[in-house]
Amino acid sequence: MNEEVRIGIFICHCGTNIGGVIDCPELTAYATTLPNVVFAQDNLYTCSEAGLAQIKKGIEEYNLNRVIVASCSPRTHEPLFRATCQEKGVNPYLFDFVNIRDQCSWVHMHEPEKATEKAKDLIRMGVSRAYHLQSLEKNYVDINSSALIIGGGIAGITAALNLAKRGFEVIIIEKNEQLGGLLNNLNKLFPAQETASNLLKVRDEVFKHENIKIYTSTTIKAVEGFVGNFNIRISTGDEDVQLKVGVIIVATGANVFEPVGMFGYDGEKVITQFQLERLFKEGAFNANQVVMIQCVGARTEERTYCSAVCCMSALKNAKIIQELNPNAQITILHRDIYSPGTEYEKYYREAREKGICFIKYSLEKLPFVEEDSVRVFNHYIQEEVTIPSDLVVLSTPLIAYNDSKEVAQLLKVPRDEYGFFLEAHVKLRPVDFATDGIFVCGCAHWPKDVNETISQAYAAASRASTILSHKTLEVEGAVAKVNESLCVGCGVCMKLCPYDAITRSEEGLAYVRAVVCKGCGLCGASCPSQAITILHFTNDQILAQIGVVMEGK
Amino acid sequence: MEFEPKILGFLCNWCSYAGADLAGVSRIQYPPSLRVIRVMCSGRVDPSFVIQALKTGLDGVIVMGCHLGDCHYIDGNYEAEMKFATLQKLLEPTGLVNRIRLEWVSASEGVRFGEVIKDFTEQIRSLGPSPLRDKENSKPLIEDLNAMEDVVQNFRLRALIARERKITESGNIYERIIPIKNYQEILTEALKSEFIRSKIYLKLKSEPLSVKELSRRLALESSNVLKQVVVLRQRGKVALDRVEGVTPYYTAIGV
Amino acid sequence: MEHNGKEVLIIGGGIAGIQASLDLAEMGAKVHLVEKSPCIGGRMAQLDKTFPTNDCAICILAPKLADCARNPNITLHTLSEVTKLDGEVGDFKVNILKHARFVKEDVCINCGDCVVKCPTKVLDAFDMELRYRKAIFLYYLQGVPSVMAIDKDNCLYLNKGVCQICKKQCQKDAIDFDQQDTEYELNVGAIIVASGFDPFDPTPLTRLGYRILRNVVTSLEFERMICASGPTQGHLERPSDKKPPQRIAFIQCVGSRDIKNNPYCSSVCCMYTTKEAMLAHEHDNNVESHIFYIDLRAAGKGFQKYLKRGSTEYNIDYIKSVVAEIEEGKNGNPIVFYEDMETGQLKSMEVDLVVLATSLLPRKEMNTLAEVLGVEQDEFRFIKTAPFAPLETSKEGIFVCGCARGPMDIPNSVAEASGAAAKAAEMFMRK
Repeated sequence: MNEEVRIGIFICHCGTNIGGVIDCPELTAYATTLPNVVFAQDNLYTCSEAGLAQIKKGIEEYNLNRVIVASCSPRTHEPLFRATCQEKGVNPYLFDFVNIRDQCSWVHMHEPEKATEKAKDLIRMGVSRAYHLQSLEKNYVDINSSALIIGGGIAGITAALNLAKRGFEVIIIEKNEQLGGLLNNLNKLFPAQETASNLLKVRDEVFKHENIKIYTSTTIKAVEGFVGNFNIRISTGDEDVQLKVGVIIVATGANVFEPVGMFGYDGEKVITQFQLERLFKEGAFNANQVVMIQCVGARTEERTYCSAVCCMSALKNAKIIQELNPNAQITILHRDIYSPGTEYEKYYREAREKGICFIKYSLEKLPFVEEDSVRVFNHYIQEEVTIPSDLVVLSTPLIAYNDSKEVAQLLKVPRDEYGFFLEAHVKLRPVDFATDGIFVCGCAHWPKDVNETISQAYAAASRASTILSHKTLEVEGAVAKVNESLCVGCGVCMKLCPYDAITRSEEGLAYVRAVVCKGCGLCGASCPSQAITILHFTNDQILAQIGVVMEGK
Repeated sequence: MEFEPKILGFLCNWCSYAGADLAGVSRIQYPPSLRVIRVMCSGRVDPSFVIQALKTGLDGVIVMGCHLGDCHYIDGNYEAEMKFATLQKLLEPTGLVNRIRLEWVSASEGVRFGEVIKDFTEQIRSLGPSPLRDKENSKPLIEDLNAMEDVVQNFRLRALIARERKITESGNIYERIIPIKNYQEILTEALKSEFIRSKIYLKLKSEPLSVKELSRRLALESSNVLKQVVVLRQRGKVALDRVEGVTPYYTAIGV
Repeated sequence: MEHNGKEVLIIGGGIAGIQASLDLAEMGAKVHLVEKSPCIGGRMAQLDKTFPTNDCAICILAPKLADCARNPNITLHTLSEVTKLDGEVGDFKVNILKHARFVKEDVCINCGDCVVKCPTKVLDAFDMELRYRKAIFLYYLQGVPSVMAIDKDNCLYLNKGVCQICKKQCQKDAIDFDQQDTEYELNVGAIIVASGFDPFDPTPLTRLGYRILRNVVTSLEFERMICASGPTQGHLERPSDKKPPQRIAFIQCVGSRDIKNNPYCSSVCCMYTTKEAMLAHEHDNNVESHIFYIDLRAAGKGFQKYLKRGSTEYNIDYIKSVVAEIEEGKNGNPIVFYEDMETGQLKSMEVDLVVLATSLLPRKEMNTLAEVLGVEQDEFRFIKTAPFAPLETSKEGIFVCGCARGPMDIPNSVAEASGAAAKAAEMFMRK
């Protein structure tokens, strides 16, 4: 501390909210006895225009370089007082807040003396902390305003077009030769029976758009950097290309489970819904008695989830079969029918009205597929029935691609136990990863239908553009800082950081990427060498508060 | 006059501090025992803070964070839990373990916040004032706390605590997952031995002593004391001061 | 980032409207968030916990509310509604009617002195009319903006010219009975409808006994009952005798999948009922819950596991059934008469409390809003969207997200809200 610390304290009455319980004049008098306090004043409403004017006057007249307000809660009013300080040239991080209303006068209304004593202790703690506060500056990091989209299916394409139309440079990389993903293999889409290839007309738009660059038959080899400044190396098979992007969107989709060894699956008389799509597309469908079995390989012990799209796929394909062969008999063996929302429920109802038969089976008594029939225990009539069939169609779930593990490792993002990518927060951040600047959408996130995929793709584009829309990213002042002379490079902090904000520098030591750091303080509290300082919540500041609690009477 | 407990609370900004504010807005009344230090995350609370707080004579220390799974910083409160468990293990032999508490209080639990403070205050009240309020008569306890402070600042211990979740959940560098029970045993053992070493070191800081004298003063078996002295020597924290007859006397280095 | 001086209007201050606002504000657009109630927060603020993580709804919502209030790019228009729309995409002229709050928003500090003395009690809509509030009130404890409002339909002074006790109590002189409704015009480039849902009122389904039998409540009422900041501080008490219920029946698809009322499926009820049963069990380990369902619909991330946990750890019994009728037995205990769809047998079960999982409907003002905006509604009054263009309404430049377009859960509402923001930005925000 080079310069002399000059603390000013403003104690708020908040009308009678504080003043009616706590003896504010006594508090003010007490404050003046504390070390480094050069000015103390009580106001009726510190947050009012008049109160703020008093603060500014105090700063000027007494040359204050630390300001404390003792009033309500920093959670509501800290920004206001910080801005006031800044106006008068006091760095906002040199401002401290003491809560003597929400956590004192309001909760000890019938014990005014004790509340006043408590307030004195809190002010003493605040003064002690203020002495150790340091000015902090917000920094800015330049960012690259282009986006990398991994995966050229409907999700990747949708996100790409949205960003491109807004003027951002977009790069799509796709591991297959063609864009389009699963849609390339689908026949029609529920609930409108839209031809899948129609949706893929957007492929042309993508190829034509000047802001979009496409690499097919390409995979990622290396990823480095952080939000706004990712360095990616991709391999197109012929050569390696280095890319610099600001954000990454994962849109790698999902695969279809193949039920090898289940229900007599042979790919000819017992096929999957996915294979049925191809039969439709090739015009090769010709069965009369179709039995469909739902939840094959889903909602079981080993794969507990419901894949969302299989029931609707089955219903859709059943309807198509009826159109192709009005005399066909179709039975769907199910556990529950998943047809949520306004349109899908109607679709299900219509399917029933069109004479498609539904029989519920349970996990304990699975259907049995025989040469020309399927046996199933019908719970409702408590009897086993045999259904003649010349084609059995198994509805299988969407599963994660095997190489999602590699993508996850390259990007250092987590996956859940089924291999689907794990978002930052299930509810409030469904398309963000905890790592800033990386997003996910579509079936890479979780099985979903095309409509939901499109919504999520727009969502990922939106979230990505909240970063790309800025020329620079603001770096918070209250972040973690490594003292390189103490750091031994053990790497504990790097594994601990929930945001992957700490990397290894060239010297092998910990390096905090301030633009990613959220200031939680985990690293500081855990560093074995105690080499990390958490700015604005430093050990000194905290220990200073601890040191003076018991000093009071 | 009835004893008024003084309790230090570390409240995380997003949940427990907000819960405390909500208690205020709802005018929930609770005893005026709490003195709050606001942190951004309960995971910020270094175990040495709690030990230092107890040393000053505070009657109780409570750390409050978000419910597990709700942490604003994703999993900071799990770290708080790990650190608190360490503190409990260390403080177990002293009576002080009942003076610390870890609670999860969410931003919407104003009523619960009040209840927690009421409950903890009553608990502290029944325990009476902290023995550390009387520094003169609690020298052995202070020595123990000093040793504990040393332990929680020890490199090896801090690394063990900080690595626990990763190694027991995703595996070590060989991708081998160590079962929690085994890890806990290793940690507990490390805590015990580091504690003894710290106590020895602190004793040797004031004057050079023999193993026999050390084991008498610390009420420990001399074989154990000798083992730890050897480790301390290897680490360069303790050195031979002199030999009297056949008895070596050791002194602390880096005083 | 150029937004061509254009602004965006977002109708509805629930989680969807809030998410869209924050995204657009971050992109550099100026956002007008219009909300008809005195505070933003919507339905999510009424929930105790949310599936599938059972984390506290307010805890995760509150930071977003604060962000909205603080963000310099977002202007909140509470107690406001849209009354007229002219123009087209890129240049909409919207009329906003802002109802008088009778409290000065920048003066009120939410100290509560006025509420204590107000003599008028009104059934609290936020708490599903399970308790009373005063005529001057804070919509809910964590509401933003955190200022009082006066209910002009029930205020003694505004209706009869007597009282004004609140004004006398207020030390900051924040009460202003002379405030008038104001109408003003906004010029915006795009509009996002995020008006959310209303729960179905099961009163017409007399066979289920709502408002006839004492111990039959709706799911949203149950949610308020079990919420720590609700009318009973989270203590589950059944209406007739305030005793804690031990055996609870949850009836699914009330006003859903029902040709006479609403034929569609509300998507979220299987999950939210499981959640409510779990919460009841957490409050009292003796609680056993019976969920009477038609199909169990839980396809989202972690949802199946959630249901499994419910049945193995929280004493929840799932019964595939069709409920015929609910009658009252002894002690006010409801008796559920149902057909067990596994066995075809007719059965009955006596319970302490029945919770009806009511469906999600579009807001009752949806027809008016759709007409004002000139957008089409589907047959269920939700805003209509085309297949594979889920966020676009029938009018260019007007987008929709969340429950305004169909019943959905919070993760989907949030994703759609971000998506709608991207679509709106596409209209006029170019780099």
